[in-house]
Amino acid sequence: MMPVMIDESCDIHSVNTPYDQDDEQIAKLRSLLISPEQVEIATIKERLNDPVVHAEEVSRVLAEAVVIRASKDEKLAQALLPTIEKAIRNSIRKDPKFLANAIFPIIGPAIRKSIAESIRAMTQSLNETLAYSFSWQGMKWRMESIRTGKPFAEIVLLHTLIYSVEQIFLIHKETGLLLHHVSAVSSGIKDADMVSGMLSAIQDFVHDSFGVDEKNELERFNVGEYAVWIEAGQQTALAAVIKGNAPEGLNLTFIEALENIEFEQSQTLLDFSGDPAPFATSKHHLEACLLQARQNFKKTGDKIVNVAKTGGKEKKLGVYVSSWWVIIAVVLAYLLLIMFLFVIVF
Amino acid sequence: MSIETDNLLKKKVCMLGAFSVGKTSLVRRYVDNIFSEKYQTTIGVKIDKKIVEVEGKQLAFILWDLAGKDGIVDLRTSYLRGASGYLLVVDKTRTNTLQIAIDIQKTVRENLGNIPFIALINKWDLEGKWDIGEEVITDLRTKGWDVIKTSAKTKQSVDEAFKALGSKMIYQDK
Repeated sequence: MMPVMIDESCDIHSVNTPYDQDDEQIAKLRSLLISPEQVEIATIKERLNDPVVHAEEVSRVLAEAVVIRASKDEKLAQALLPTIEKAIRNSIRKDPKFLANAIFPIIGPAIRKSIAESIRAMTQSLNETLAYSFSWQGMKWRMESIRTGKPFAEIVLLHTLIYSVEQIFLIHKETGLLLHHVSAVSSGIKDADMVSGMLSAIQDFVHDSFGVDEKNELERFNVGEYAVWIEAGQQTALAAVIKGNAPEGLNLTFIEALENIEFEQSQTLLDFSGDPAPFATSKHHLEACLLQARQNFKKTGDKIVNVAKTGGKEKKLGVYVSSWWVIIAVVLAYLLLIMFLFVIVF
Repeated sequence: MSIETDNLLKKKVCMLGAFSVGKTSLVRRYVDNIFSEKYQTTIGVKIDKKIVEVEGKQLAFILWDLAGKDGIVDLRTSYLRGASGYLLVVDKTRTNTLQIAIDIQKTVRENLGNIPFIALINKWDLEGKWDIGEEVITDLRTKGWDVIKTSAKTKQSVDEAFKALGSKMIYQDK
């Protein structure tokens, strides 16, 4: 085979072969065909690589994306929680006044209401103490107070704290529709939907008839041994049907339940158009309000006062012995001893 | 015995109309009630409940049966708040009840906007005493009112009226 001889002085690229001409034409054709796409790809690359441009792009859809994700599950809220907590902590550290001013409109009325409730509870306790001070029952309880070492007011409270929260209605304030209902009793429950409507109608009736401001609600009414306590939130109201003599301060439990429900269901309440199903998830808050305090008399004569969730686990508040026989026996023993000593001495 | 409505869509519906047009008679046979009619003369409203089936879906109407008044000034507008729809009852034997119904409809529109309603021309069974002519009903329909002829006595079209209102309210929700 003959060796190929290459001329060194000859520039291989300068030679316009038919193949080179084809390449150029193909390059031109390619440029004509895909040049717009290439420009577009370059722009996209620039957008992705440039943080300013990228941020601008994300900002256009951020609000909508947050709304969509928040409506699907709780993950967005969970993800944002540590950041928000940290931001609040930093804000307080930086300038506590700023946040204090922001929450003042909410916290002010809450504190006022709490103080008013505390004073009302204290007044009732004092009234009960005075009422029982000079009666035969009062004398018995005073003896009990001395014997057990408990304050008299506490003894009075223990004896009078007998009540049972039998039903709780969660009502949508604007429509009067029942959102959820829980009951500790199975018999004698009238149609809860209609009762809920009627309670709302009575509330409206009171406003109209007495010219009461919309912000002030009918809070309580008593019928025989039953009392109905109504606590109003922003969009919902909680009505409790209580049998017996409930202590002041019980409404704090109702207020707490109402606040929790309104917080958890804020979006559902805003979108409410008559569907009560989502409120079934708030059942545990309402069940926590089905409290009762009762007085048991055991065969031994011991008294036990319990505060318990109906059907739930009982919590013992106090046990104290009231066996009069023990006292009489001790007194007799003393008398016998004195007589015995008297006989020996004289 | 109350009907379980925990999972049903609930709607507040008002029964409106002049005094003695037969609102309460219209619903008496068709609804669940636990409250006495004396509530209407005391607090001015009575609450009843009716389950209506619309497009294969059950709806619980919580009916606020407002006491009928002869003058619009007496209508307690606070009882209307939050209503999703209403039935406007007219007595076919008394023309003045129609004018009161028109005034009531205006008041409701001012308070709640254009919420669905059905006008019921009641006492259709009292043929000899008719006071409202067919042309008046045609006029109302021209105005865009949905008018249904009813009779509590013969049960004419009462259920149909509830269903028609239910359909309108569901359509409104969409």
